[in-house]
Amino acid sequence: MTLVRMPSATAPASPTSRTRARRARAHRRPRVLIAVTGLFFALLYLPIAVVALFSFNSQKSLTVFDGFSLRWYRAFVHDDVLIASLGTSLRISLVAMAGSVILGVALALGLVRCRTRLGSLAGLVMLVPLITPEIVTGVASMLLFKGLGVPLSTATVMLAEITFSISYVTVILRSRVAALNPEVEEAAMDLGATRWQAVRLVTLPALLPAVLASAVLIFALVFDDFVLAYFTTGVDPQPLSVRIYSAIRFGVQPTINAVGTLMLAGSIALIALALFIPRLFGRRGGLDILSGK
Amino acid sequence: MDATPAVRLDGVSKQFADSYAVHRLDLDIEAGHFYSLLGPSGCGKTTTLRMIGGFSDPTEGSVLLAGEDVTGLPPNRRNVNTVFQSYALFDHLSIADNVGFGLKRRGVARAEIRQRVGEMLELVQLAGFADRRPRTLSGGQRQRVALARALVNRPAVLLLDEPLAALDLKLRRQMQVELKQIQREVGITFVFVTHDQDEALTMSDRIAVMNEGRIEQCGTPEDIYEHPATRFVASFMGTSNLMTGTYRDGEVALEKGPALPVGTRSDIADGSAVSVSVRPEKIWLSDFEPGMSMLSGVIRETVYSGPTTTYLIELAPGLTLSVLEQNTARARMEDRWSGGETVEFGWRPEHCLVLA
Amino acid sequence: MALLRPSSRTRRRDANGTRIWTWLMLPGTLWMTGFLIASLVLVAVLAVGTTDELGNPRFGFDLAGIRALADPAYTEVLARSLGYALLTCVICLLIAYPVAYTIALYGGRYKHALIAAIVVPFFANYLVRMYGWSVVLSDDGPVLSALRAIGLADAGTRILNSGFGVVAGLVYGFVVFMIIPLYAALERLDVSLIEAGRDLYGGPVRTFFFVTLPATRQGAAAGLVLVFLPAMGDFVSAQLMGGPDQIMIGNLIQDKFFQGQNWPLGSALTMLLMLVLLVGMLGYLRRTRKDEAEALR
Repeated sequence: MTLVRMPSATAPASPTSRTRARRARAHRRPRVLIAVTGLFFALLYLPIAVVALFSFNSQKSLTVFDGFSLRWYRAFVHDDVLIASLGTSLRISLVAMAGSVILGVALALGLVRCRTRLGSLAGLVMLVPLITPEIVTGVASMLLFKGLGVPLSTATVMLAEITFSISYVTVILRSRVAALNPEVEEAAMDLGATRWQAVRLVTLPALLPAVLASAVLIFALVFDDFVLAYFTTGVDPQPLSVRIYSAIRFGVQPTINAVGTLMLAGSIALIALALFIPRLFGRRGGLDILSGK
Repeated sequence: MDATPAVRLDGVSKQFADSYAVHRLDLDIEAGHFYSLLGPSGCGKTTTLRMIGGFSDPTEGSVLLAGEDVTGLPPNRRNVNTVFQSYALFDHLSIADNVGFGLKRRGVARAEIRQRVGEMLELVQLAGFADRRPRTLSGGQRQRVALARALVNRPAVLLLDEPLAALDLKLRRQMQVELKQIQREVGITFVFVTHDQDEALTMSDRIAVMNEGRIEQCGTPEDIYEHPATRFVASFMGTSNLMTGTYRDGEVALEKGPALPVGTRSDIADGSAVSVSVRPEKIWLSDFEPGMSMLSGVIRETVYSGPTTTYLIELAPGLTLSVLEQNTARARMEDRWSGGETVEFGWRPEHCLVLA
Repeated sequence: MALLRPSSRTRRRDANGTRIWTWLMLPGTLWMTGFLIASLVLVAVLAVGTTDELGNPRFGFDLAGIRALADPAYTEVLARSLGYALLTCVICLLIAYPVAYTIALYGGRYKHALIAAIVVPFFANYLVRMYGWSVVLSDDGPVLSALRAIGLADAGTRILNSGFGVVAGLVYGFVVFMIIPLYAALERLDVSLIEAGRDLYGGPVRTFFFVTLPATRQGAAAGLVLVFLPAMGDFVSAQLMGGPDQIMIGNLIQDKFFQGQNWPLGSALTMLLMLVLLVGMLGYLRRTRKDEAEALR
């Protein structure tokens, strides 16, 4: 008796046609799965579409579309408080982006290459923001500033956002650094570069696409963040996302539809750009930026 | 040899945790030689190369380049350059900038850089590729760029870490010839790490065979092949018929076969266990000469492979020798044997090596 | 002679400049330690602190904040938060699995684009998305109108201001964190494995349970943690979708710091939240360790 079942000689179908049939079955599109996925996509985009649609509504209603109008956009542009908040948000995002990218890229390089006990400790510290929910980070940051006697302001938001964003940059960059061929850096040193020159002239240029992508992503994430900003901001001027939060809590203001639509469009464009940047440099792009894989 | 060696390793060891990657290595490499470090993977040859290049510091001993102790100096302060196994090209720079990288680091004038890079690309037959990116080149071309990038700095010693390993067989053969030609042309000392014995034999002036962190034997390719000093070298270089036995009075009594006369060896004590090695192509099956060691056995297998035929001859139960015959034009039909036949065979005494 | 040679050990300290890695690592690590670790310690310290007459926090040792956690009003909120977060995890898994499966196996050359189409809006402004979602689920929003039209809901059916609304919000907010790891696991899954499963087990259902599901277990576990973490700490969904009866622990914390001004209690609640999440994380880590150990065997 053999352990392997052999096709019997009397079997009518030839093996090839049977495989083909099985292949076809495996690749037949299952209608139920596709329907579920379709419904998922519909529900995913519906809220975004509703906000965008009613931002062009000529009336205040959120249920009845009365006619196309730019009146809420006009209202936003003429709202000095919101415009000031927009400026604040942009400044926060820029500073947080610059700070966290510089610290995060350096940290990623160090973490991958440094094989000491200090290195593994730093790796643990880096993980803390990723497993801490934003509300805890927010509360903790606020208490720290209050405890140090630092009045909450735009600057405190910047500091808190940098702290939170370093880990994101590091996670994105770390896998890229690990994937680099260490011989390339050695080759630079072999050709007369010091270790630092090797990092500057060879390693950083090789990381450039990932650095740019992470910078864009951090900009978008910080601009959209509201929990951390909510806990660490001063009274005036507040970041845009904090204003939106207050507005949607206390009743409908159609201006928010316009602001929200602009913010959604902006961050969708930025995140799509972050996914696309590696492709500009001819690398296989994409989603691994978000998952850090 | 009174000239200062280009590279001298003086009692060099490299210890990782509690094992030695390289153990008390002494090695002199003469200037202008094509020198191969040959051995199986994990034998310490790459570690040795990295210590010469300055990428790894020895835990003991010192590295001397042209008589000067460079132990502990970083790579950028040694007059050696390296061709890496992965080529390690800078993907964000053009071919010309890759090749000119070292010269630029050393502050060579731009005009001179351009001229020397041009000459070097010419030498490696990549003259038209100056503005291309490494990514757009084939494996063989990238290999040449790596070579040009190292050679353009006119190092005293060029280190090559299995540079041909990633190429396919045909390209590898072609590059072997080319690399040897380039070495003769520029006259720079090459230290070449490889696990491929054919490659080492065809290219080198000298070979050091390494095993488990030590050098088993150094010498010319012919030396190493014809007169292996150890059992390891005999089996690693080509194929050998290795037989174990006991030495006594100019004879080795084989464990599983007859006693073979091997000549008196004053350096081997009577009664010590030894190996006897005879290369398959040194065994004769006809046209014997006087003074040969003669034996007989039964042919168990014949393996025809075009230019040669290999016979597996059973000398005694459990002891089979392989014998290689050339199928030249002069070979006679009657000098072909088939399985089951009993044949006489023999070898010249000098081709039977006793390895302690 | 050897004794006269300068000690090579001191000379060799850092020939390759490897100390540069420590220097590169230091600023970021010090920054995070200074801001984050220190502030988390501060939360722990303040959880056992007191307040003065004006309500300002004072350091000290008082277990009032901790003891207050045992108050049924708070334990009820904690239980509700746990329940909602776990329910959210389960629903996310049920939604994400077919979606990720469909895209990974039937997406063909569009699968990257399809996943990007899910990921990109999810990383866009959370608040605006939740706001839009609350409009969609509102009493005369499109979802309820559609359900009423096909007779699945009557005039009194509501989604907002209920526990169902909160969970719907959490699911909408964080389902992407389930899709990404599941998709990654399913994409790695060799299609020939499924075909082999068909050969061995026959039916697609048995193949799914014996081949596909075990192969993606780690992805699902990662997804559960990634959803559980933010869902447990969220306070927007409960605020926009649930109303005052459906508050979660995040709302309590927010309230203690902004309205109630009871910082020790707020800190104690924050520590409690961290504790719950830590237990969840440890459970996950132990599971994956075990899985890895089994995979190595």
